[in-house]
Amino acid sequence: MKKTLLKGALLGAMTLGFMSTAMAADYTIGISNTVQGNGWREEMVCAMKAEALASGKVKSLNIAHRNTDAAGQIEDINNLIQAGVDAIVVNPSNPDGIKSALKAATDKGIVVVAVDQMVNEESAYVLSNNQEQYAYLGAKWLFEQIDGKGSVVYMRGAAGASADDDRDKGFKKAMAEFPDVSIALEVFTGWQQDQGKQQILDYISTGIPFDGVWTSGIDNVIVDAFVESDTPLVPIVGADNAGFVGQLNSVEGLTGAAVTNPGSVGGAGVALAIRLLDGEKPADRVVLVDPELWENATDAGKANLQSAADPSLDPEWPVSIMIPNWTNYTKEQIIACKGPGE
Amino acid sequence: MLRFLRKHYWTFGLLLILMSLLVFTRVIQPNFGTFGLEALTRAALPFAFATAAQVIVVIAGGIDLSIASMMAVTSVTAAVLMDGASEQFAFVVIPIVLLVGATLGAINGVLIVITRVPDIVVTLAMLFVWEGVALMILNAPGGGSAQWVQGLLIGPILLEFLPEAVTQWVPKAFIVLVVSLCVVWIPLRRSNFGLSVYAIGSSDMAAFRSGVNVNRTKIAAYAIGGLFAAMGGLVLTASTGIGAPIPGPYLLASVAAVVLGGVILGGGIGGLLGPIIAVLILRLIRTDLTLLSVDPNITTIVEGTIMVIVVMAGGFMASRRKTK
Repeated sequence: MKKTLLKGALLGAMTLGFMSTAMAADYTIGISNTVQGNGWREEMVCAMKAEALASGKVKSLNIAHRNTDAAGQIEDINNLIQAGVDAIVVNPSNPDGIKSALKAATDKGIVVVAVDQMVNEESAYVLSNNQEQYAYLGAKWLFEQIDGKGSVVYMRGAAGASADDDRDKGFKKAMAEFPDVSIALEVFTGWQQDQGKQQILDYISTGIPFDGVWTSGIDNVIVDAFVESDTPLVPIVGADNAGFVGQLNSVEGLTGAAVTNPGSVGGAGVALAIRLLDGEKPADRVVLVDPELWENATDAGKANLQSAADPSLDPEWPVSIMIPNWTNYTKEQIIACKGPGE
Repeated sequence: MLRFLRKHYWTFGLLLILMSLLVFTRVIQPNFGTFGLEALTRAALPFAFATAAQVIVVIAGGIDLSIASMMAVTSVTAAVLMDGASEQFAFVVIPIVLLVGATLGAINGVLIVITRVPDIVVTLAMLFVWEGVALMILNAPGGGSAQWVQGLLIGPILLEFLPEAVTQWVPKAFIVLVVSLCVVWIPLRRSNFGLSVYAIGSSDMAAFRSGVNVNRTKIAAYAIGGLFAAMGGLVLTASTGIGAPIPGPYLLASVAAVVLGGVILGGGIGGLLGPIIAVLILRLIRTDLTLLSVDPNITTIVEGTIMVIVVMAGGFMASRRKTK
């Protein structure tokens, strides 16, 4: 079956005149992603392209990358199956909604790797960021910073998204450990920079005091809002986005922490797919990438932040652009964002 | 025959485009076959129902911007009700969900009729209301679906009196689509009510003077739109096995298919077949762009450009026919 699919892919490639000369580069990998125009996801896609190129084993990538829902992702995966790809790396719209399409793919002998989020399909491999732990680590640090009492602004991601729901569990877990901490305001930023900034500016202008801000990764604009409105800074927790990490190193009076949430997990997913195609079997079906917390309240934390900072990156890109033991590309390759044949 | 062709030239034109696209797909991907057709039909289902919902409302002279949100409400309602329930219970859930959909649509219609605020404003506001309702029912993707409901969309039809060589080319999803649409649409077209819908879309004043109850017809048109949206919500739950509270990309796609399908946005003119073929065309273009591995940032430009060209060509043909 796989052979005929491969033949189909080759025919398709010939029709297009994309015939590759390097015979070592044999695999065709399909990518499915359902959020377009977000810094984190763009880094993920660039990491996938860079890893495919750096491996030297991928002939071409077939990328289905658009804003859609689980039903649309099923459509994209079915299209990739018909395109005759050898492997599919997918950032799932949610853990259960695309099971049928993933099953259809693995039934046809296609290797399936889900990155960033979990999928509950036994035949697919998962390389996921631990979202619950992400929220728990940051929230716990924040509550400790304010001595376990006071109110915090809770700036979530997108309402109804699985990752946001997982993070909410982690946040609530930390809340339960600090009974004297209350939520001053709970808002959904929709993971949109402009929306998050407006929300915090609106709240600041009410004059109601609060002691800290937890964000789901819309972070550097929150610091900007404090600085621009001349409001005394409170501890702020964000993700390891280049802009925010830079602020933690440079903004006077800012105490905060960045929790890692590498978009480069996409590159690791492609690496895993190639290993599986080469016949290697990983020990576990599910690998969780646990987050780290870098804060600027201690000297050790400051050193971490200093070494992580990278002003050459887009402020919305996470600074952890590589994952040790997984990705093989160089920084230049991921920034260039070119896949094989581009 | 010729008169029939002339009357339905737009639909035949679309059918021709669809056929050529199918041939083109087969050329670029010789493996495109039964699996491809099934995947295409299943992908088209939610778009087709969203489009049907938009068609009836647009023909009645309105527009409903809350369709995708109504699909989300009905999808999560179905997923919550079916979660953990018995297989048989789904027989109760489906009518309930359809009724919920019709009620949501009717509420849109009533608000428009009572407030006299333009359709586009009311339904824009309701887009947010229904989105919030969906999140209240289910705050993250979840719920469940009966196995047989999911099975309704998977695989080809099974008919014992026909050989497999024939039935394998007819996906179940296609039958679900045709039956669901016909059950509502055919009686509607043959009834006085159907005529009234076209009449108020052409001119509500003329319709009123001919004795049509404009307000009641409008509310009913929106209710039927809601009914189709509920069917869309049900197929979303059936195809994913869960309910998702965030609305999918069905609103703009439904307007696009309506326009491409030859329904005039001002109301009163158009049918259902054209827009449904348009949905299939738009899905197949997406498939071809994936098969050709076109840069994802370019695909939306290609989709939009093709639409503009087809609609412009149609307009050009129509104006030439008039001047002849």
